[in-house]
Amino acid sequence: MPSIRTNGLTKRFGESVVAVDDLDLTIEDGEIFGFLGPNGAGKSTTINMLLDFIRPTEGSAQVFGMDAQAEAAAIRDRIGVLPEGYGFDDYLTGREYMKWAVETKDAADDPEELLDLVGIADDADRVADGYSKGMQQRLAFGMALADDPDLLILDEPSTGLDPNGIQHMRSVIRDRADSGTTVFFSSHILSEVEAVCDRVGVMNEGRLVAMDSIEGLRESANGRASIELTCAEAPSVDGVADIDGVAEVDVAGAKLTATCTDPKAKVEVVKRVDRRTEVVDILADNTSLEELFNQFTGGGRDGDGDVPAGEAVERGDSREVSA
Amino acid sequence: MSTVTVAKKDFKAARRSKLLWAAAVLLGLIAAFVGYVSGNASGTDAEQVRSLFRALTLILGILLPIVALVASYLAIAGEREGGGIKFLLSLPNTRRDVFVGKLLSRNGIVAGGVGFMYVAAVSTALTRHGAFPAGVVFGTLLVTLVYGSTFVSVALAMSSAAASRSRAIAGAFGTYFLLVILYVFPVVQVSRIARWVHTTVLGADPNPDLYNAVQYTSPYLGYRKAVNLVLPADMRQVVFISSVPDEVSYGSAEANEALPLYLQDEFSVVVLAVWLVGPLLIGYLLFRRADLE
Repeated sequence: MPSIRTNGLTKRFGESVVAVDDLDLTIEDGEIFGFLGPNGAGKSTTINMLLDFIRPTEGSAQVFGMDAQAEAAAIRDRIGVLPEGYGFDDYLTGREYMKWAVETKDAADDPEELLDLVGIADDADRVADGYSKGMQQRLAFGMALADDPDLLILDEPSTGLDPNGIQHMRSVIRDRADSGTTVFFSSHILSEVEAVCDRVGVMNEGRLVAMDSIEGLRESANGRASIELTCAEAPSVDGVADIDGVAEVDVAGAKLTATCTDPKAKVEVVKRVDRRTEVVDILADNTSLEELFNQFTGGGRDGDGDVPAGEAVERGDSREVSA
Repeated sequence: MSTVTVAKKDFKAARRSKLLWAAAVLLGLIAAFVGYVSGNASGTDAEQVRSLFRALTLILGILLPIVALVASYLAIAGEREGGGIKFLLSLPNTRRDVFVGKLLSRNGIVAGGVGFMYVAAVSTALTRHGAFPAGVVFGTLLVTLVYGSTFVSVALAMSSAAASRSRAIAGAFGTYFLLVILYVFPVVQVSRIARWVHTTVLGADPNPDLYNAVQYTSPYLGYRKAVNLVLPADMRQVVFISSVPDEVSYGSAEANEALPLYLQDEFSVVVLAVWLVGPLLIGYLLFRRADLE
């Protein structure tokens, strides 16, 4: 039985805003599923419907085969949630919040162990409202872990965490997954999902635009590497296009750009060109998952919304210079 | 029991509010002051203490709604705006658990405030008069707690309907104006408005029973009449003077029986019960349906 299943799940706000549009999603028991998408893609709205915070306009959602709306209480007994937009606004300490979570879940956990696990045991006597964002995130994560839930639903879990905290949270998530917990994990950061998840669904503008394993995504991404050589004089194209794994060669002035289906072909391109012309600069564009993500989502809020087909989207930070 | 866990946590957090303690102390001081001032009337010690508690109910009639509204208006709206609701409903709680838990704890807080006043008033009475008329003390206490609960119900309903703090505040102010102010000050009184609509707009003959019945829909008058039920006959207040027949004297024990059934003191039980339950049902239905972002 799948842990989560949605059928035509749709949420409209008012007349014109479609936050989630006809979503069909199945998360199998025991997997770590990454739910990826730019801000406003509909990830949190989907999660809020799974948790019965908001109600679907159309369609339905099931958790452990139970209707998310009708059997919300029974579902909450078996899940751990790190929600978005939470607040520790009662005048209670971190320890008291943790005890409350353990008590409400009727769990056998020792609150101290959980506090220690998420690294806030030393601050447990402070009022949680005064915690930094990262510490609140740790506390909320710890509360989600209480009672060893069958399903962890984590909405943007790394928000506000320092790199050590992110590392640690990942290892805890993997530990829990290894012992059989299903993890449903939303994020707008691809590297995070890449590091933990078995399978990824990409949301954009309320729709699921891609759904694959990390390996599957990587394979599609690897099809699109390119290399750009700046030469002392206009290079000759002869022979370059014949190299195995090179799909296309383009020369503009002193610049030669080769698009490769196999990233390994890039080295051969450099050697071949360098034999005849002096190469001044090399720019290799390793099309990463990130660019694929950008292609799926049309650049998110910052893009023009068009989904470019096949060509690498230029992004400074994903380029590497190898010379 | 999730309801109890929700209530316990809510109550625990409230107990740490300095503002709440300040309010409780202030209430106690007011009660002690009333006890002190009312000590100069004539009559036996027990009579004086009875009239002290009657005077206390007059003050509570106006003051307690403020206490109850302030204590409860953020019960749910505050959780929604502050994000506490996300934890409440991620844990194995239903919306009903949250609603009922909040209801219990906020009633507890208001009862605590009333308790402060009663302890202060009883202490003053014992010190000055050495009398403890248990019937009147516990009778008015019970009626007062019910009265406080009606406003907790109203405030909780408002809080469920409001998605934000600011709307909840507006709701609390509006409630106090509509349910208390309009029945206290002679210039803008509900009975006058009803009379004006009935005689001037509709052109009918004056009918005091009707105007009094309209007034009687408020928990404030319900409370004042309910207090009569626990006071000795000679201490009762005639609230609807205009409906008492001319041949019956106001102070007599028959003044209440001479009224139509729906204006009698006993009917206050119905009025308070409606205000206790009605808002809760509406509030719960709104909360159950709400999208909690």
